[in-house]
Amino acid sequence: MHLSLQHLKSHFPGREAPGSFIKNALLTALILIIATVIAFWFFRMVPENSANVALVYITALVLTARFTDGYLYGIAASLVSVVGINYLFTYPYFQVNFTLTGYPVTFLFTLIISLVVSTMTSRIKEQADALVEREKLLMDAEKEKMRANLLRSVSHDLRTPLTGIIGNSSTYIDNYQSLTEEEKMDLVSHIREDSNWLLNMVENLLSVTRIHQNSMKIATSMESVEEMVSEAIIRFRKRYPQTELSVQVPEDFLMIPMDAILIEQVIINLLENAVVHSGSNLPVELTVTCDGTQVFFCVRDYGKGIPPERLENLFDGSYFHPESSTDGHRGMGIGLSICKTIITAHNGTIHADNHSKGCQFVFTLPAMQAGPANQVLPASQAGSLVNAESVVQENSAESLISIKKEETNE
Amino acid sequence: MNKNGCRNSILLIEDEENIRSFISTTLKNQNYKITTASGGQEGLHLAASFCPDLILLDLGLPDMDGMNVIKKLREWTAVPVIVISARSNEHEKARALDGGADDYITKPFGSIELLARIRTSLRHSSQMQDMSLTRQKPYHCGNLTINFENHVVTLNEQIIHLTQIEYKLLTLLAKNSGKVLTYTFLMEKIWGPYTDSNNQILRVNMANIRRKIEKNPATPEYVFTEIGIGYRMAEGD
Repeated sequence: MHLSLQHLKSHFPGREAPGSFIKNALLTALILIIATVIAFWFFRMVPENSANVALVYITALVLTARFTDGYLYGIAASLVSVVGINYLFTYPYFQVNFTLTGYPVTFLFTLIISLVVSTMTSRIKEQADALVEREKLLMDAEKEKMRANLLRSVSHDLRTPLTGIIGNSSTYIDNYQSLTEEEKMDLVSHIREDSNWLLNMVENLLSVTRIHQNSMKIATSMESVEEMVSEAIIRFRKRYPQTELSVQVPEDFLMIPMDAILIEQVIINLLENAVVHSGSNLPVELTVTCDGTQVFFCVRDYGKGIPPERLENLFDGSYFHPESSTDGHRGMGIGLSICKTIITAHNGTIHADNHSKGCQFVFTLPAMQAGPANQVLPASQAGSLVNAESVVQENSAESLISIKKEETNE
Repeated sequence: MNKNGCRNSILLIEDEENIRSFISTTLKNQNYKITTASGGQEGLHLAASFCPDLILLDLGLPDMDGMNVIKKLREWTAVPVIVISARSNEHEKARALDGGADDYITKPFGSIELLARIRTSLRHSSQMQDMSLTRQKPYHCGNLTINFENHVVTLNEQIIHLTQIEYKLLTLLAKNSGKVLTYTFLMEKIWGPYTDSNNQILRVNMANIRRKIEKNPATPEYVFTEIGIGYRMAEGD
């Protein structure tokens, strides 16, 4: 629908904004005037070869068709130039005279050439526009699907803890007199547990807002991998103080482009999944390795693993934990689809698979700069834009900084 | 209790009724004297008339920007200000700290964390007043000891060799232990006021320090990272 509207508009310049009409008309006039000047100059230098004049005008027509919107300007320009050639460059000068020997043929062919060329150029341009438009529509559809999936899983996942909070607090208030201290404590700690879970959900959702709305790009800066990992671990420990983790980062000091808050969120989500869904108390492992072009983050648990039929659409948000709605344990739908969104926006990859004793999630981030298009900052931080970009550029050549252990021991 | 034997007074500037009541209750139970304000203007008036020992300031106030409150306060007082802010806004936090706030705490926070931050800030402000009288005591935390007078850093009784810059960085963090120091502040203190805005050199030096004093750089015990803001050293024993 959108596409056809665009199409219509380009055929009828009258429907365009007046500004665009004036712009196109002026441009056409300008090109024709320049062509006339050049043609005059030619005509003075080599009066006997008037074919050059026609060629100059045809060039002007091609340019007009290329730089204006729609056919109309090109056709108008071709009429003007055919009449113009006759008026200015054929004897008798400064008179329109179509009776000249052979001129009707010249006139006809010039007109045909200009019409064909201007139609073709316009069509090529239209096709290019249509292609861009189609790509945009496809991307929009993709985003729309993601958003819908997200919304669906959010509303599903939010209801459970909210029910818990409302229920527990109502019980507390209604039965304040009759409850024992222990029961009260129990109710309140359930409320705390559910609220903590809600908080994590909200942080997840908030993190999505850091991804640039239209381009799906993020504001990256050079961050130290170990610093980001250590903060993620500290935040995770706040919520699960009892959980045993084993964390391994490379000996070399790594700095790679990322939005550290988002990657932290991914790590926390993966660790949480490993703890909550693995059904095992064995320590969860987080291992970071680097092969020079990519950094691999691997979260590995020693639990029951993931049913193979679920592996395929684990990350697309359409996945529901069948048990989750009944036993009150929340699914991992949103968390994983957000991880996928974040990692994709970083030009990385994420996947899950089972190993012999449980499952593992591996995501990668490019260690080298993927391209300057990645550094898009929200408008609100325009002040720091220059700063952040210059940092990135300076580092792009050596975005991977390693300090060997030997050096540090000096 | 402060050194005059009075209870420390705290001014809380926060517009959310629920959060105000939760913080007031927590602080009253800990024997602090607490005054509350629901907006920036009211907060500034109360700060001027009560002269509190510490101010807790929510950055998102309805009547004025929290940054302006800090600026106005800093025109006449050095009272410690702890900023309360939402997590995702690390630029705002860094700006508040560089603009004169002493520390920040991220919403949502537990009462234990809040009380620890308040104690740290109060201790730092009283130390500031005593600075001229007493020499700096050595920093102890876990197995790490920093002796500021002899310029010696030991871990498990073993002397740790640090470069000049690493030593400067570590002592600066240790003297302000428990408090977050921003990238900008550290860069200026160590490399001078006209350094490059690129803080990579700072990150590299911190990475070296971590490799010398931490068992596992990914789970540090002494120096913590506040992503996008700066570093915080564990409070000494």
